This record gives sequence, structure tokens and C-alpha cells, in this order.
Amino acid sequence: MKKLLATILVLALALALCIPAFAEEPTKLTLILRGGTYGDVIKACLPAFEAEHNVTCEVLDLSFDELHSKIALNAPNAAGEYDLCMVDGSWMAEFTANNVLANLSELGYSFDDDIIPATTAICKVGDDIYLAPYFGNVTVMLYNKQLLADAGYAPEDVDTFAKLKDIAEKANAAGKKGFLIRGGSGDNIVSDFIPHLLVHGGWVIDENNQPTVNTPEFKAAFEDYIALYKLGGTLDKDDIVAAIDNGDAALGQGWPGWYVPTADSNASYFVIPTKLDDADTPKNTSMYGVWTIGVCENSQHKELAYELLKYLMDPDVLLSTVDLGGVPCRYSSLQNADVLAKFPHMAIVCSALETGVYRPVIEQWAEFTEILGQEMDTVIQGVKDMDKGLADAQSALEMLMM
Amino acid sequence: MKRNALTNGRASDASERAFPRLMIAPTVLVMAALTAYPLVFTLIYSFTDYQYLKGTDAAKFVGFKNYVMLFNNTYFRQAVLNTVKFTLLAVILEMVIGLLIAVFIKSLKKGQKVMRTLLLLPYLLPTVTVALSWRMMLSANYGIVNQVLESLHLPVYNWFMDIKTAFGTVLLIDVWQNVPFVFLLLYASLQGVSTNQYEAAMIDGANVVQQFFYVTIPNIKSGIALCALLRTIDTFRLFEKVNILTGGGPAGTTSTITQFLYNYGIKNLKFGFGSCGAIVMTVLVLILSSFYIKRAIH
Repeated sequence: MKKLLATILVLALALALCIPAFAEEPTKLTLILRGGTYGDVIKACLPAFEAEHNVTCEVLDLSFDELHSKIALNAPNAAGEYDLCMVDGSWMAEFTANNVLANLSELGYSFDDDIIPATTAICKVGDDIYLAPYFGNVTVMLYNKQLLADAGYAPEDVDTFAKLKDIAEKANAAGKKGFLIRGGSGDNIVSDFIPHLLVHGGWVIDENNQPTVNTPEFKAAFEDYIALYKLGGTLDKDDIVAAIDNGDAALGQGWPGWYVPTADSNASYFVIPTKLDDADTPKNTSMYGVWTIGVCENSQHKELAYELLKYLMDPDVLLSTVDLGGVPCRYSSLQNADVLAKFPHMAIVCSALETGVYRPVIEQWAEFTEILGQEMDTVIQGVKDMDKGLADAQSALEMLMM
Repeated sequence: MKRNALTNGRASDASERAFPRLMIAPTVLVMAALTAYPLVFTLIYSFTDYQYLKGTDAAKFVGFKNYVMLFNNTYFRQAVLNTVKFTLLAVILEMVIGLLIAVFIKSLKKGQKVMRTLLLLPYLLPTVTVALSWRMMLSANYGIVNQVLESLHLPVYNWFMDIKTAFGTVLLIDVWQNVPFVFLLLYASLQGVSTNQYEAAMIDGANVVQQFFYVTIPNIKSGIALCALLRTIDTFRLFEKVNILTGGGPAGTTSTITQFLYNYGIKNLKFGFGSCGAIVMTVLVLILSSFYIKRAIH
């Protein structure tokens, strides 16, 4: 009997030791994402996918420039290090021209009707899909509720840039900063200015991709922009959010990822006005900064990365990210009654996403914004006069686009 | 017999001469692989339009086009001027303050070790941490510096975004972080100065200032030259602080050569243009530091 028990015990132990050896090792996927809320909401969704697909995910959280560099530097390698990547819309032309991203259509992906159609415009080359719109970043106007009320406006009333200026002037007269703009990189300066240019009917390039920054529309928009700047000042992103939240400033352009307002918060968003004044006709003035996701062309686990992309784009999964600060590009999330009760600003974001405008899809966009931003900054700071600054910008950009 | 002895002697001389060369050969090879090879390739790429995503196969020889573009670029010229101005000011301030602190600490009878450790702390911090800490302290909105100034009814500034203050603020932070390095090197040099010389000077009636200029400085001048050389090279490559604190703005007043190369070459993956800038920068550093190198050799 003892022998039998001992034999059973030994067999059981041997079996227990052998089982893990036969169990399949989990596959490792590497995700390269934009740091902050954009990547955090993806990270929160991963455990369920990992358990379901026997996968472990390593996530790299990076700054804007670092993310671009790392994806690009990895691209020429035959065996890529990254599987799923987060891509800014402005990199699309450069990445698709150089075979950085996998063709999602070939992998079987298609957009459903729930995704806000305008946000998919940047994701395709012809009929082929390369990216999926994940985080609905679109320029909105961040405002302090009290200072807006003090100026005699309700958020829904502010539908013209003339009213925007009026609020900024009243806040300024009350000893506050009226309107804040972002300094720092050229991209910040250009991105924040684009809505002001759009409302004046201008654009930064023409249909032949030639620069159009020394035009009457550009000049008029820039003069108005500087007038607004003089009612406030230049700060970096964190300071803008803090200043508006604590009541030191009335208005500033922002992105939904910067700040999550609730019904009780001091600040919230409204859609960037679409008209210059009451007599003007409405234009699309919200600019997209949508963070998209794609699969790296040289991924070692392309199929699995594609499965992850589909999972992350699932309506229920995206809805679950809203509580964490996510801004899905899906109607089912942005028009959900529970979401709107908790985050009323989502209705604003949704309408901004429906009418947004993408930055130009040109390979040279990063350098374009660097040049234009620096020239605009010299004019804003008073180093050059406007005519000289815009003429210099135009000639430098013409050289770039030759 | 004699001829044989002569031949043997020559062979032994030759092998004696070859032996040291053989011994340093691995070091020379490693140095060549790690220094000369990248330098040569950077030089070659600087004459091409190499764009990283397009690959080396697509890179074409463009002659001096990158160099012409670089020297015609007004932002580059501004970055060179900023860098030279920044380097000269930072090195002079760091050397003067570092030397004064070193002399002061050396003169202390007690607490030299504690002071030495405390003074070194800023240098031990990573540059990114230093930049982020200062950014918080000097924030125009919630920074402690502006709050203190406000409470004293003094004017407050938007330190990093104002054209009048941005350059000086970055300079101040760089000096604050690097003075301890100068202090440490010069403090070490001061240990080698014989006390006999000070005693002799005192007997001759030299006061403290005369002792400083006629005993201290001549004894540590090679240390000063080496320190200035190291600081010049390091300051010329200034990047992280500028990139984090100002991004080169406002209006390019804080842009440096490395910041320019990052924005217009590396960030856009235009490695041909970036290599051209790197070569120009290397030449500029060599010119600027040649004075110190000469001094250090002599």
C-alpha cells in the first residue's frame, strides 16, 4: 500500500512538473505609443486581450518627437521591434510613402458606420486603410466658466471670433489674461494658429502643395491672432491648463487629451467658433490632431497585432476608455447617454470631430511647421515686422517644397 | 662572426621596436573603429542627400549643396551666434565662480568634506531632472520663484517665453549645474600647491590678492586650461536643457547648433544635412578649443 501511494505521489509530482513545460509560452507584442492619456487608455485595456490571446504586451510611452523617431528608425529593419504603433495624422504621408505601415485592408480591416467618417480621411491611401482613428483629438476652446459668465456669455453663445475677442478684452480689463497661446516648438505655434487662418478662408498650401503664407488671408488672420495674444500671453501646455482652471486666464486653445472637465470643474470646452462675426458664413475651423493606431509593416507578429488593433477599436472597449480620459472617434461612445451625463463636453468634442480639418498631408510637414512656426514667433515677439516675417517664411517654404 | 653579431643585433633592435607597436595595436584598432570610422562616414554622408527612411541606396552625391544650404540658413547662423555667445558666457562664469568657491573651500579649517559633498549635488543630478525642476520653479503660473517675487511686490516674468529673459534663464541654470564640476577639478589642482610657496610669499609681504595671482593661479593654470577646455566642448553641445525648457524659442533666441541640427536634420531624418551640420560643429569646437589645447600641451 505504501509503495502504491509513493508511486502515485511520484507520478503526480512528475506530472505537475511537466505541465508548465508543455504549456505554450505567451507571445510578446511591443506597442509604441504616445505618452500621457493617449497611451494610458490603451494600457488599461490590455489585460483582457493578454489573457484571451496568451500574449504579454510591452508598452513604450514616448513624447511626440521621440515616438516619430523611434517608429522611423525601426522601419528599415527587416525584423521590426514594434508591432502596434500610435501615429499622428501629420506623419501619414511620410510613413506610407516609405512603407512603414502595414496595409490594414489587406489584413481584412474596414471601417464601420459607427466611426465618425471625417476622422478616417487621413487613414487611407486611395481605398487602402493604413490606420484607425483611435483618440479623437481635435482643437477646442478651453475656457474658465466663471470668467466667461463674468464677460456675459454662455458657452453656446460664443459662435464668432469677434465674441472670442470681446471675452478676452473683458477678462483683460478685469486684470486676468484674456487669451493664451502655446509657445515652444514651431508645430505648437502653427497648430494653434490654423483655426484662426481657416476662419479667414486661408490655408498654408495650395492645391499644388506650394506654400501660401504670404497672402492677405494669412496676414489678416495673423493680425487678429496677435491682437488676441496681446490680451493674454504665451505659456506652455501645463501652464495654460492650470491658468484657465485656477481662473487666471479666460480662454486658450486646447486638446481634449489635456484636461478632462466634469460638471463641477472650473473649466470646460466649447467648439472653436466657425465665423468671424455674425455676418460671416460658417466654416470648418476645428483642426484634427487625432491619434491613430496602425500595425508596423515589419512587425514579427502582424496577425496578432492586427487582432489587438481590432480589439482596441471595438465599440465596447472604446466606451470603457472614456472614464479614463479616452476620447473615441465613435458615435456610440460620444453620444452615449451615460457618458454625456458625466462628461457633457463630449457633445462638443463630437461635433468638432464631425467637422474637423486635417493638417496638410505632405512629407515635409514637420520641417514646414518648424520654419513657419519660427518665423511666426519672430513676428509675435516683435523681432520682425509682419511683412518681413511672412515674406521670409514664404521664400524659405518655397525652397523646402521645391 | 662579426657580421652575424651585427645582424642579430639589428634583428633584436627591430623586434624591440615592433613590440610596443604590437602592444598598442589593439587600442589603435578600437580607437579607429569607434572614432575614425563614424567620423569618416559622417563626412561622406555630409556630401549626400541621405534620408534615413529612403535608405542609403537612394542617397545621391550632392557635392557641397548641404554646406551651401547650411551657411545660407538664417536660423543656423542665429544658432551659431547663440551657441558661441552662450559658450563664452557660461565658461567664463563657471570658471570664475568655480575657482572662487574652490579657493574658499580650500581655505576652510573645518567642514571641507561636508561643503564639498553639498556643492557637488547639482552636478550629480541628471540634466533632464534639472531642467524639469527649474521649469516647475520658474513656471509663470504656479512657479515658486514668481510667487516669492509677487509676495515681495517685485515684477514677475514669463522666464522661458519672454524674449528678454529666456536666454539668461537657460544660461543661469546651466551655470548653476556645472559650477560644481569646475570647483571639483580646480579644488583637486589646489591640493598640489605647496604651502611653502604661500609661506615664502607671506614672508615677502604678499597680501591675499597677490598670493592668489602670483602663487595660486600660476600653479593651477594647466588645471584651469583643461577645465576650460572640457567645459567649452561640453557647453558647445548644449541640447537637453534648451530642448526641454524653450525648444529654441522664443523667436530662436535660445536655439543652439545642436538644437538646430535636431530640428532641421535629425527630427526630419535628413541625415545628410544633419551630418553636414555635425561636421561644421566639430570644426567650430576645434577652433574654439584650440587655444586651450595648445595651452594644455605646453
